[in-house]
Amino acid sequence: MDRKTFAGFTVTSVFIMFALMVFPLVTTIYLSFNRILLRDVGIAEWIGFGNYTEVLSDPDFWAAFRLTILYVAVVVPVQIILGFAVANLLDRVVRGRGLYMAALLLPFIVTPVVGTLLVRDLFDRGGLLAWLWELATDEAFVITGSNIKWVLISHGVWATAPFAVITFFAGMQTLPGERVEAAEMDGAGFWAKQRFVVIPHLKSLLIFVLLISIMDAYRVFDSSFVFGQSVGQAANTLMVYNFDVAFNAQLGRVGKGNAIAVITVIGMFIVLIPFLIKSYREQIAER
Amino acid sequence: MTQVRDYFKTFSVHTTLILLIIVTSVPFYWAAQTSIKFTRDTISSTPTLWGFEVTADPYRKFWFVDEEQNMWAVGLYLLIVAVAVFVLSKVRKRLATKWPATVAILVSLWAALTIFPMVFEMNREFDFFINSIFVTVLTVLISISIGLLAGYGLARYSGLSGAVILIAALAFRALPRTAFVLPYFIVAKELGILDSRLVIVLALVAVNQPFTIWMLRSFFMEVPREIEEAAMMDGATRLQAFRLAVIPIMWPGIIATSLFTMLLAYNEFLFVRVLAVTEWTLPVAISSLTGGDSAGTVTEAAAASVSITLPIIIVIMIFQKHLVKGLGAGAVKG
Repeated sequence: MDRKTFAGFTVTSVFIMFALMVFPLVTTIYLSFNRILLRDVGIAEWIGFGNYTEVLSDPDFWAAFRLTILYVAVVVPVQIILGFAVANLLDRVVRGRGLYMAALLLPFIVTPVVGTLLVRDLFDRGGLLAWLWELATDEAFVITGSNIKWVLISHGVWATAPFAVITFFAGMQTLPGERVEAAEMDGAGFWAKQRFVVIPHLKSLLIFVLLISIMDAYRVFDSSFVFGQSVGQAANTLMVYNFDVAFNAQLGRVGKGNAIAVITVIGMFIVLIPFLIKSYREQIAER
Repeated sequence: MTQVRDYFKTFSVHTTLILLIIVTSVPFYWAAQTSIKFTRDTISSTPTLWGFEVTADPYRKFWFVDEEQNMWAVGLYLLIVAVAVFVLSKVRKRLATKWPATVAILVSLWAALTIFPMVFEMNREFDFFINSIFVTVLTVLISISIGLLAGYGLARYSGLSGAVILIAALAFRALPRTAFVLPYFIVAKELGILDSRLVIVLALVAVNQPFTIWMLRSFFMEVPREIEEAAMMDGATRLQAFRLAVIPIMWPGIIATSLFTMLLAYNEFLFVRVLAVTEWTLPVAISSLTGGDSAGTVTEAAAASVSITLPIIIVIMIFQKHLVKGLGAGAVKG
């Protein structure tokens, strides 16, 4: 395909991404140096790094930052290890696979806001888990500011592990049977097979899931927002903190909100840049 | 001996899987049983698991104006629609040309949705449901049409700019919604188009483009070049070859990508919450329901949760194979 035809095919998509992602991002960066209030977004006053110093000295920011890091640090590895293990189990059964798969897909397809409500109801008074907790410990279970992080993380694992399960399982289906048999002939045990046959075959898939799950865990919003309805800002991740600052009904501080968004993006890219460089090299090598 | 051991292995694998699917599906079971209870049966700390009085009140409260709404009539209506669609899809299977039957199914679904509020007096929530469908359908159509062109170009072009676009798209995929939403909000407000469903569709199409082009590209990579080359030998232009030779064998990829786009649009919360003042979609409607702490809304929220989840479960059940295949294919090559 020549350059001109390529341009013809991609121009709409590139234009949309430019107009609705690059341009807003640049605007966000520009506005983060201004003081703007939500009730009057037309008026912007240049204040340099004022918003940034304010964000970085705000204890609420650091609380949200810590919670977000904890969430990523627990949910991502658990999701990947659990996903890989369950995909292995699913790969061994034939009977009932369709049913298992359908039931495993449920948390992945459900609307995140709704999924969070469903999990929250289990922990709330009269819910199944709260009741079991009371039977076991004789104390009532209440979601509070101090245990919310673990409730949030349990929901995170419940909601995201199925994605890893199904993706790894789909990848395992493309593994040629002869390779597994050859390894078995060589006397490879279960772990050796995983280590030398399955994991190398799934390498690009593992990196893909890792990348997606870091991105999605880092910018988790919906579940944190819904739990915030019961415990307030103790459930705030970076995204919800950002939302609160920018869209608070009385005092939406748009400029400060933009500064938080920029800091969030910088944080994301510190993690992401090695991946991006690696993918870029792969793309170049393919050509 | 090995037979006994194999039997034991299979048994433990199934047991573990059953325990896991209990974990994934219990919240759904719990919501379903809460949604048919009276509030009095949900507020005690020891839940009433069976023998409670069953009621459709939570559904009445969420969807209908009339608190005494006859739910048998609603059920009958839904049953007739389901039977009609089922019969049409059976007919479709036997036909050689599928599209007239497909159109008939879509038209009957559309008619069912249009007539429903004329027969029954509906709450605002029904409008939100229609908004959800509108936003979802339009987002899927636009995203996929644009994404197909770009994905095809990126799969077939070997120049450097292709790699740059792909990596830039990957970087955009990582950006949080908060990096865009304030400028969207400000621009929409200044233009006076805040609170229109089209703004939400545009925003969703944009944030979904990176994923769409990556996934469609990986499906196009699996289509052999010979297919369009043969068509072009016969005198077709590049665009004709794309439309007439490539697209017809791309349907599995199109369906898989559409399913992911559908989930994204139907489930979106943040954009709708910020960009819509009254023209909500269902996720925002539900979150506003549970903002307070009154126990009276627990059953209603459960009914709402069940109502919003059922449509996706049905769609995913129909296309489950495509979804699973898409999750594998989209990534192995990517």
